[in-house]
Amino acid sequence: MKHVRIHLVVNGEDYSLFITPNRVLLDVLREDLELTGTKEGCGLGKCGACTVLLDGRPVHACLTLALQADGCQITTIEGIGEKEVHPLQEAFIDKGAIQCGFCTPGMINTAKALLDANANPSEDEIKQAIAGNLCRCTGYNKIVDAIHSCGCQSEKEKGEVR
Amino acid sequence: MSQLDIVGKSFPQIAAREKATGETKFVTDLVLPRMLCGQVLRSPYPHAKIISIDTAKAAALPGVKAVVTFQDTPKIKFGPRSEDWTIFASDKTRFHGDEVAAVAAVDADIAEQALELIRVEYKELPYIISPLDAMKQGAPLVHEDKPGNIGAEFKVEAGDVDRAMDDSYVVYEDHFYTNQVYQAYMEPMSALADVDLSGRVSIWTGTQIPNMMRMTYAKALGMSPDSLRIVVPEYGGAFGGKMENNIHLIAAVLAQKSGRPVKLVNTRHDDFLAGNPRVPMHFDIKIGATQDGILTAKDVKVVGAAGARLVYSQVIVATACYRVDSLYRLKNVRAKGYTVYTNSVPTACFRGFGNSQSTFVLESALDELAIQLKIDPAELRIKNGMGSNETSVHGWKIGSSGLRECVTKASKAANWSQKKNNKTPFKGIGLACCNHVSGNRPFAREFDGGSGIVRVGKDGRITVFHGESDMGQGQNTTFAQIVAERLGVTMDMVNVAQVDTDISPFGLGSFATRGTLMGGNGVLAAAKDAYDQMADIAADMLNTKAADVACRKAMFFSKSSSETKISFQDIASEATIRHHGAPIVGTGFYKPPTELPDPDTKKGNISPAYPFGCQIAEVEVDPDTGQVSVTNFVAAHDVGRAINPMATVGQIQGGIAQGLGWTLMENMAYEDGKMINADFVDYIVPSCFDIPDIKAILVEPIEPNGPYGAKGIGEPALNPTMAAITNAIYDATGVRIKELPVNPQKLLAQIQKLGKHVKE
Amino acid sequence: MRIRPFDFKAAVSLQDALIQLDQSGPDAKVLAGGTDLVLNMKKKKILPSTVISLHSIKNLEYVEEKNGMIHIGAMAKHADLAINPILEKEVSILCQAVGLIGSWQVRNIGTIGGNLCNASPAADSAPPLLALDASVVIATLKGDKIIPITSFFCGPAQTIIKSNEILKEILIKKPVNPSAGCYLKLRRRKAVDISLAGVAFQAETDPTGKRIGQVKIALGGVAPTPIRVPDAETCLTGLCIDDAFEKIALCAQKAARASKPIDDVRATADYKSTIVNVFVQRCAQHVLTTLKNQRGKS
Repeated sequence: MKHVRIHLVVNGEDYSLFITPNRVLLDVLREDLELTGTKEGCGLGKCGACTVLLDGRPVHACLTLALQADGCQITTIEGIGEKEVHPLQEAFIDKGAIQCGFCTPGMINTAKALLDANANPSEDEIKQAIAGNLCRCTGYNKIVDAIHSCGCQSEKEKGEVR
Repeated sequence: MSQLDIVGKSFPQIAAREKATGETKFVTDLVLPRMLCGQVLRSPYPHAKIISIDTAKAAALPGVKAVVTFQDTPKIKFGPRSEDWTIFASDKTRFHGDEVAAVAAVDADIAEQALELIRVEYKELPYIISPLDAMKQGAPLVHEDKPGNIGAEFKVEAGDVDRAMDDSYVVYEDHFYTNQVYQAYMEPMSALADVDLSGRVSIWTGTQIPNMMRMTYAKALGMSPDSLRIVVPEYGGAFGGKMENNIHLIAAVLAQKSGRPVKLVNTRHDDFLAGNPRVPMHFDIKIGATQDGILTAKDVKVVGAAGARLVYSQVIVATACYRVDSLYRLKNVRAKGYTVYTNSVPTACFRGFGNSQSTFVLESALDELAIQLKIDPAELRIKNGMGSNETSVHGWKIGSSGLRECVTKASKAANWSQKKNNKTPFKGIGLACCNHVSGNRPFAREFDGGSGIVRVGKDGRITVFHGESDMGQGQNTTFAQIVAERLGVTMDMVNVAQVDTDISPFGLGSFATRGTLMGGNGVLAAAKDAYDQMADIAADMLNTKAADVACRKAMFFSKSSSETKISFQDIASEATIRHHGAPIVGTGFYKPPTELPDPDTKKGNISPAYPFGCQIAEVEVDPDTGQVSVTNFVAAHDVGRAINPMATVGQIQGGIAQGLGWTLMENMAYEDGKMINADFVDYIVPSCFDIPDIKAILVEPIEPNGPYGAKGIGEPALNPTMAAITNAIYDATGVRIKELPVNPQKLLAQIQKLGKHVKE
Repeated sequence: MRIRPFDFKAAVSLQDALIQLDQSGPDAKVLAGGTDLVLNMKKKKILPSTVISLHSIKNLEYVEEKNGMIHIGAMAKHADLAINPILEKEVSILCQAVGLIGSWQVRNIGTIGGNLCNASPAADSAPPLLALDASVVIATLKGDKIIPITSFFCGPAQTIIKSNEILKEILIKKPVNPSAGCYLKLRRRKAVDISLAGVAFQAETDPTGKRIGQVKIALGGVAPTPIRVPDAETCLTGLCIDDAFEKIALCAQKAARASKPIDDVRATADYKSTIVNVFVQRCAQHVLTTLKNQRGKS
């Protein structure tokens, strides 16, 4: 099997890689670039843990051949917020939207893409976006709240009552 | 209690920042130099004799550094409780997914190729999947030395059940079934194993029980426990499912054989096949009550499928037999439990541990009684619910009980009375309660309780060592809050060390909803010891007695003349100087006032505290498709005191989501003895659209035995969910759900049979 | 889940892709979004010797309206089609359906051409295209050929496309009279699931807007291929809208009878047929009500 050369721009940095065609983007990111923030939850595009942004659009990195990303801009969780923690990440942290954290990188990537396209999404629009990101710990309530709070108008807290 | 600065506040999880930025290294992210990739070859049959295994071609493949089978292990039988495990199948495989061989290679690609080159000759044997059938005469035997496929039997009896039933005004009797479901934690089971020059094995893995596991594994590997070290990195969820499993041992064996570190990560498919899913159970229940709704007697028979070997299913079946008895003031109870071997994946712990299965059954039964007696279901719970300072039929000393408050608060928040009287067809509301433990003395073996070490360095940096397990639920943050409160410092000064069995206390682990209470009390004791040592030095520097000294917001001061303050960091520095470099090391432990139950009567107080809860679900049922939507959810939970309210609410919402999935969509399906839906395409877990807004109410009676009054929440969060939903389905349709999960087609058929439903 | 080795070729034009495909032999596969192909390669269900990517080919991704025809480039992504203004205005049933495919992640890279060529009997894009009487344009070395979509599917994962041909474009005749459509899909949870049964119902009135001119009903997931159910359609054709409401139950019954689902781990055949009946009724109610209201407004 012949190697191929691909050129990826990952979180703003250029990479020239010489890979075999049968490798998926997820593995190239995690192994070759050592960006382990993107996770493998199922390997079959059914859980969303591997979500990265490909030219700004969330995709399953486990179902995307690395060579499909040739010439594309890729954003992984490590590229959200760059030098500082992004307000979206702050919201997840502050609102308890993270428990085990394994779904979190994929979830934040999807949410980032949503907010980039729609600065003030409704709860329904948020759910439409993250429906492909499974979370087994939180029951989603706080995740939706965290994303919603990053919209232009934030809603009052719901959930906890003493 | 005086004002609390840290406990009771919703600090973000201390690891959240790293998780949000992708910095956290989970088990599957760990890398060691020269690390190999391990993969397991699993049996494709439910039951088969192994005729031969030929690994030659696999071993010869370039890049393969080890191929192992049973022959490469110490060939010792072992097990978490019952010794019916081997690391690999020896003469026969007993379930679809049973471990037959494994390889370690330089990359995953070659490892997979190598697996394909291993030739195994099998002879298929008759198999048995249903535990009821497995008990029958002539059923194939999973283990030759276990007649009738009985892995364990349990019985308990108290009072006079038969007489109480006879004296009852109403008796309800029925059969229920709770199915086998999968934890579906987002990070698959995985292990990184390494062996040093002396032969000492280190395993990095996400485990809830680093020490208990170490004891079991030492036996399996034929080594002394101190030759084995378990390290617990951050890991992606567990819910009970990450306890003992052969993949850890296989990683170790591969590391031993290859002489290199080996990382073994389950594919999701393998995790389905050979994880540790929930024990499916058949229940026969009979329950009586007086005309005013006082429960008289309860009699159950439980048959649970153990799968191919015993993990903890026998304890889970026992728990299903009698834990829920302490939810109500029952005086006459009887239970018989059978744990039955089947040719399916070994079943084990999953949030609730048998109490979730039995709570579904009991709370459905109580709903039926409420209907027959024409008593409001909420009132029925209040009438019978265990209160504070009462002792249950099994001798459980209920210290604090917020059960009644949970029912009244949940009812109010859910608008229960109004909605219950609403006669809109196909819309319904249902209520269910639960109890649980915060630690289970008999499960913990040699002792129960917790311990901690609190180290304060010269710079005032605090490190907490504990032996439990943070699987994402926020345990470390809880411990940090407890320690920060006790020391009188700020949260940012407290760090919690990774659990490493070489360094950490011998914690029993996180299960039985014990972490906060046992581990919390353990680190609290250690914090007190560290504080006392520092207070002595502060007293000296402030020229007063230790009893006069206090520390708040990281400043020590004399209570009688509080103008002079010395910072915590300065005290720490002074301490280290005075001790010639020795840091302050506080140690302490918690001995719970519990007892091992009597082996015959099973009587004895097994836990220092008992959490309670009440959940109310609203549903809408589509009368043409039988599909169920949960439209609203209220949950009130007695947690003693919420150390971190936000994290506690998160646990409640997460538990309810899992309960909802179990009730409406999750099922591990078998055909011809093989699991046929071992992936997320056909094993359906809830998406964000399936879970409604969940309103969580925290009830805090302040438990005397808990750290700052705390009890646990992990498992009670899920226990009532299933019955809350199915009771709502009954309210909406008149159909009683007796099997999980709800099958829309069957529900539809029942709805059509009943005709148009009119609520009483 | 290793993907077995293959030779990779990036086609620079459609003609280039056709030549490469022809030269690479029958084992070669075309790569569009990859959500089906890569998945099948991981599962070892498809083992291509050569994979030819269409990514570098310009002008295969578009939605255009020309002379009463809507043209959709085969590489158009589901996420874009779901919100395309031309489609939403003229044939919203297609938007509804592709918006329900998989997850947002899948829709962001998966293509309508790929969905059709993968030819799952449950493919969500198929029933609406059948109900719209669409055609597909297949590019071959000998030139393009246009095939009605009713002839496109041959069996599960089988289409009429030969191993050296490429689906290039989808053609839909723009409805001229008032029209409405509805697509409903049976799922096991409220989002992101394979279709267990899918119903597409598209109706167009006559020029007066008072009578049903055409009804097209297509079903997915209940036969070896997505199917039309002409027997059910004739129940409603030609009726005035108010009368058509009365015939919905009969129409739905006939549609259910025409379906041939199988039992599988997802649902029983019986249940799928039951759902076809229910969904045809619901779709019909929705569509007829829309047409009635439209008429009311004009």
